[in-house]
Amino acid sequence: MKRILADVSAFGRQYLRSRVGTFFALAFPVILILLFGAIFSSSGTPRVPLAVQDLDSTPASRGFVQALNNTTLITYQAIPTNANFQDYMRAHSINVALEIPAGFQATLIQAEMGNASAKVNVTLAGDRTQSSFGIVYSAVAAVATAFNLKVANATEVVSVDESQFTVRQFGYIDFFLPGIIGFTVLTTPMFGMTSICAEYRTRRFFKLLATTKLSKAEWLAAKVVFYVLLLFVSVAIMMLVGVVVFGMQATLTPLAVLLIIAGTFEFTSLGMVLGIFVRDPGTGEALANAIGFPMMFLAGSFFPIDAMPPFLRTLARGLPLTYINEGLRATMVFGNDGTALTYLLITLGFAVVFFVVGARGLSWKSK
Amino acid sequence: MAPRDVRAAREAGVGEHVIEVRGLVKRYPDITAVDGIDFNVNRGEVFSLLGPNGAGKTTTVEILEGLRDPTAGEARVLGEDVRSGYRRIRERVGVLPQDFEPFDRLRPREAVAYWAHLFDHAVSEADVANIIETVGLADRASTFALNLSGGEKRRLGIAMALVGQPELLFLDEPTTGLDPGARRELWTLIGDLKRKGRTILLTTHYLDEAEQLADDVAILNHGKIVAHGSPPALISQFGGGTTIVLAGAGREGYEALPSRGIAAELHGVDVLVHVPMASQVRPMLAKLASIEMPLTEIYTKRSTLEDVFLKLVGARMEEGVLAA
Repeated sequence: MKRILADVSAFGRQYLRSRVGTFFALAFPVILILLFGAIFSSSGTPRVPLAVQDLDSTPASRGFVQALNNTTLITYQAIPTNANFQDYMRAHSINVALEIPAGFQATLIQAEMGNASAKVNVTLAGDRTQSSFGIVYSAVAAVATAFNLKVANATEVVSVDESQFTVRQFGYIDFFLPGIIGFTVLTTPMFGMTSICAEYRTRRFFKLLATTKLSKAEWLAAKVVFYVLLLFVSVAIMMLVGVVVFGMQATLTPLAVLLIIAGTFEFTSLGMVLGIFVRDPGTGEALANAIGFPMMFLAGSFFPIDAMPPFLRTLARGLPLTYINEGLRATMVFGNDGTALTYLLITLGFAVVFFVVGARGLSWKSK
Repeated sequence: MAPRDVRAAREAGVGEHVIEVRGLVKRYPDITAVDGIDFNVNRGEVFSLLGPNGAGKTTTVEILEGLRDPTAGEARVLGEDVRSGYRRIRERVGVLPQDFEPFDRLRPREAVAYWAHLFDHAVSEADVANIIETVGLADRASTFALNLSGGEKRRLGIAMALVGQPELLFLDEPTTGLDPGARRELWTLIGDLKRKGRTILLTTHYLDEAEQLADDVAILNHGKIVAHGSPPALISQFGGGTTIVLAGAGREGYEALPSRGIAAELHGVDVLVHVPMASQVRPMLAKLASIEMPLTEIYTKRSTLEDVFLKLVGARMEEGVLAA
């Protein structure tokens, strides 16, 4: 135990004296929180700009545009009636635009008077692959349906009512912060350990350590202890920023703390496993990036896994970070400790496997 | 720290083999790095493995340090087989590896304390200060290792190797890459350690270093020991005795000698006369003084390990590389 503590102390001093490591462990996650928090928390649901050319210019067409505006999904911008619709879109780099044809109001009146063949098409132009197009399409379709119901003099039978399904009033930051904690639990120890293994090999520190009584398992355990302490500080700062700057409601539960410890154990060990294959700092960096970057995006650190295509969702279930992100959200946001406990056990399973493989596979000696 | 009395141990075991190597072989798919070598290192002596780069010095030392497994043969350190018993002797051995680099962002006093803890030695600040003082780094004890000079870094490495008052020190090319001043300073430090009774296995490709510091030298080339003995014994056996230099004698002096029955060699404007036995030097000097020839100076030059190496290996060694 004394050897482990001595290594924690010596490694910690070196780590904290290297400003790059400290920046990425403590300051970088806070920058991400401030950046994403400011983008998504302060203005509520973002509105999509929609350019509209109203060729009818009647009370009915203006009412259609007003109804679109009332959806709170779009911000309205007018296209002059004398402009060519498509040329104007190109000239002004407009993503989505709506054209209301002349005769819009007259057609509605004919329909109200019982003319069954009366029909009018509004045209939505834009890039279908953009998510903004889908949002606008939904808004336009909903408004068109409402107009149709009104013309048919029908009553609304099914309506949607909103209800808060979590105990407290959560905001974007409450869902985002557990992902950033997971991201930090992945990047700080794993990238750090891969780089350390590369440096220790090229500078022959492993050989030097092999002449002492410190075992590889003790050395790895010391790194786990140090990174757990470092991540406690990092998470405390993140929570403080979340609460003070964004009024975050999510709390750090005991299960969340255990998940952070288990995750740090897991990714420190995974870093040592990658260290088995690393021969120099260049390959270390490339290997950590190749493993770390896809994982941080696929495991739901920044985007919900449910929004991904089915095959990516299946892939995400095989990634160790998924269980930390989802487990943290389960316990910190939804209060679902049963799921969090299951994910904690899965994380510990990964951690033990990585620890054993890392401690046995990494050689300090020469062949 | 509870220091063992190294001097007492030495006195108790003078002549005892601290290292025993028999038929040691280390073979790789493309090369045999160590090819069946035998040697012993006695307690309290400085034993030097001398040879050019690639001769097998570091491979041999790393086998003895427990860092490589031999292909064949036997190697015992402090009575333990290096393959099976190294854990039992780890704290009795100090190691300065080849191209030692310290941890950049630790100060020497922190590095020494850290290293002591890795051997389970409880060290006080006074113990650490004492070790730092021993290697002459007292005024640099609080400087980040990153900012130490090359020589100071090696001194720090030796300080770390000394934390457990080890009975045996492995110093693998401790002065390679250092400037002459730093090399001399390290020689003084190694000499001090020797006087304090430490057994030292020193590898080097500097012939003068081995001659200055070692009690016993094994010259390695292509994985084999080509000569083994004390520097004076090697010089006496292979060095060709003493050379009398007739500075400025030129061709005239050179041509005057054969008629007096003296074999000589013209080397630029100097004439060299080799005298194999020390007892023959004085009569030869008297004989030469009686011959008329142009001279600026007469002096004698003792053979060195460099002459021994040249004779045995057939090439000179410059910075660890064999030169034609």
